[in-house]
Amino acid sequence: MSKLLSVGALFGAAILWSTPLLAKDMVFTSWGGTTQDAQKDAWAKPFAKQSGINVLQDGPTDYGKLKAMVESGKPAWTVVDVENDFAVKAGKDGLLEPLDFSVIDKSKLDPRFVTPYSVGSFYYSFALGYNRDQFRKKTPKSWSDLFDLTGFPGKRTLYKWSAPGVLELALLADGVAPDKLYPLDLDRAFKKLDTIKPQIIWWSGGAQSQQLLASGEAPIGMFWNGRIDAIRRSGVDVGISWDQNLTAADALVVPKGTVDKEAAMKFIAFATGAQAQADFALLTGYAPTNTGSKDLLKPDVRATLPDEHTQGQVNLDMAYWAEHRDEIAKRWYDWQGK
Amino acid sequence: MTSVSIVERGGGPPQRRRRGGGGFSHVLPALVLLLLVFVLPVLLLLLRSVTEPALGLQNYAELVESATYGRVFLNTFLVSAVVTAITVVIGYPIAWLLVILPRRWADLLFGIIILSMWTNLLARTYAWMVLLQRTGVINKTLIGLGIIDEPLTLVNNLVGVTIGMTYIMLPFIILPLVTTMRGIEPDLLRAAALCGAGRLDAFRRVLLPLSLPGIAAGGLMTFVMSLGYFVTPSLLGGTSNMMAAELIAQLIQSLLNWGMGGAAAFALLVLTLALYALQLRLFRRAQAGRA
Repeated sequence: MSKLLSVGALFGAAILWSTPLLAKDMVFTSWGGTTQDAQKDAWAKPFAKQSGINVLQDGPTDYGKLKAMVESGKPAWTVVDVENDFAVKAGKDGLLEPLDFSVIDKSKLDPRFVTPYSVGSFYYSFALGYNRDQFRKKTPKSWSDLFDLTGFPGKRTLYKWSAPGVLELALLADGVAPDKLYPLDLDRAFKKLDTIKPQIIWWSGGAQSQQLLASGEAPIGMFWNGRIDAIRRSGVDVGISWDQNLTAADALVVPKGTVDKEAAMKFIAFATGAQAQADFALLTGYAPTNTGSKDLLKPDVRATLPDEHTQGQVNLDMAYWAEHRDEIAKRWYDWQGK
Repeated sequence: MTSVSIVERGGGPPQRRRRGGGGFSHVLPALVLLLLVFVLPVLLLLLRSVTEPALGLQNYAELVESATYGRVFLNTFLVSAVVTAITVVIGYPIAWLLVILPRRWADLLFGIIILSMWTNLLARTYAWMVLLQRTGVINKTLIGLGIIDEPLTLVNNLVGVTIGMTYIMLPFIILPLVTTMRGIEPDLLRAAALCGAGRLDAFRRVLLPLSLPGIAAGGLMTFVMSLGYFVTPSLLGGTSNMMAAELIAQLIQSLLNWGMGGAAAFALLVLTLALYALQLRLFRRAQAGRA
């Protein structure tokens, strides 16, 4: 019931939307937690100092809310951090403002993460993580090891939601060549996942994934690379394998009809600049989308970032996902619930 | 209606305030707000469920035909029923204890219960996750004591959801039960004893029937709240026992399939209301049969 009410309140809020923003304010929305803290420190604060535009923080990102705001005609959010496949789909569905590339310099931006409606905000990899306490003699190396229950016994943890990642790694583990992944062979992927299904614990958020790995509850699994790095920095003996790490990016988008388009473009231009991207990478362990940021980072920091592990790296196909999200979701939840 | 007479005797003759013609205009702003914030959005959601992606009942057809949605709904009602039953069984003696304990101790116990209600829900859920996991305190203690050899699977399944939700729902059953039980004259139990009733008989034939309104009120509240529960089942449960609220949130927040989300939300609302009506009727009949 509570969920229903909050959904109701959402619509109510959309109808009653009337928050007047100060002329020099904009609202940046992201996923909360340490990631948004880093975005605030690396992007929002220096941007405010430079431009005089105050950046208010909101969150977490909620696609339902974004859609409700756009439909109400007066989105309170100026710039939003979203997943890349959502950015592609939302751009097509008319929920986003096209970006102004006369303000945002895309010549230095990783072209994999640039669309007319979005630019990469940072990029991460799904990588294999494991707790060394549980695998002393032999350490897991590849996605196939994730499916090897005799060699690496115990629970494994995977991302719970229907999103790019899990199906791809199942296919890779089953021997599909990286360049033959798409279109995804769903039957084959689910069949492979069936072999470890009773041993899977699903994580639905970053903190949960860290808890599972650090406690040894699930000593092996797929994780956002930054999360493994954060556990390691906190002193837990965890390992990471970059073999066939799966890349995806978050993207910065501007909801259609936002009050201050100009500020939005300026903010995105700043946030994707070489320095801001390097500062963010330093704080999070996620890779910069600006190719000029590398030179601003020390070698030991760079070694922990996905863009230093491009050998064998596999790009998750956001255009494919944007196209097939609904149909995959249906199969996904059906299979998961069985 | 036994219960009513008891309450009235305890509280003296009820002083009813007459509501004149002016009463309605006083509540009008609140009513408008209520309509705007609660009723209108539900109607809008309903509208979406028959207009997205196209005009028609295809969303409802899919809801009925799809095995996934059916399973989620069945599971939602099952979990809610189990949680409600366990909550009543555990909450009842606690409530009675609160009534008969000396004031000071009762206040302390009451404070503990209220305090748990005020603690952040997410924090409490995470705490259970840590306690219940294979490498958690409970399993380690049991293994250390030699009671079990292999850790029990207490979380990421129905067991975890039931434990977590029961814990969170307990105050909601204890509070209405205490209110009802406070209205029961202790003399009645003494009278039962004088008439030769043993403890069990006194409980079964006096205390239980008189506290039934509390059980019904608290049980219903727990059940209805459980139906819409989101955070706890999402974190403590596995994917095979997903509950309706999580599915709806997923449809609306991530997949932006508002038509389907609306249909699922509406189905949950209607089923909840239907169940509420049924329970009220059963309860009235039980009361009438007793009177």
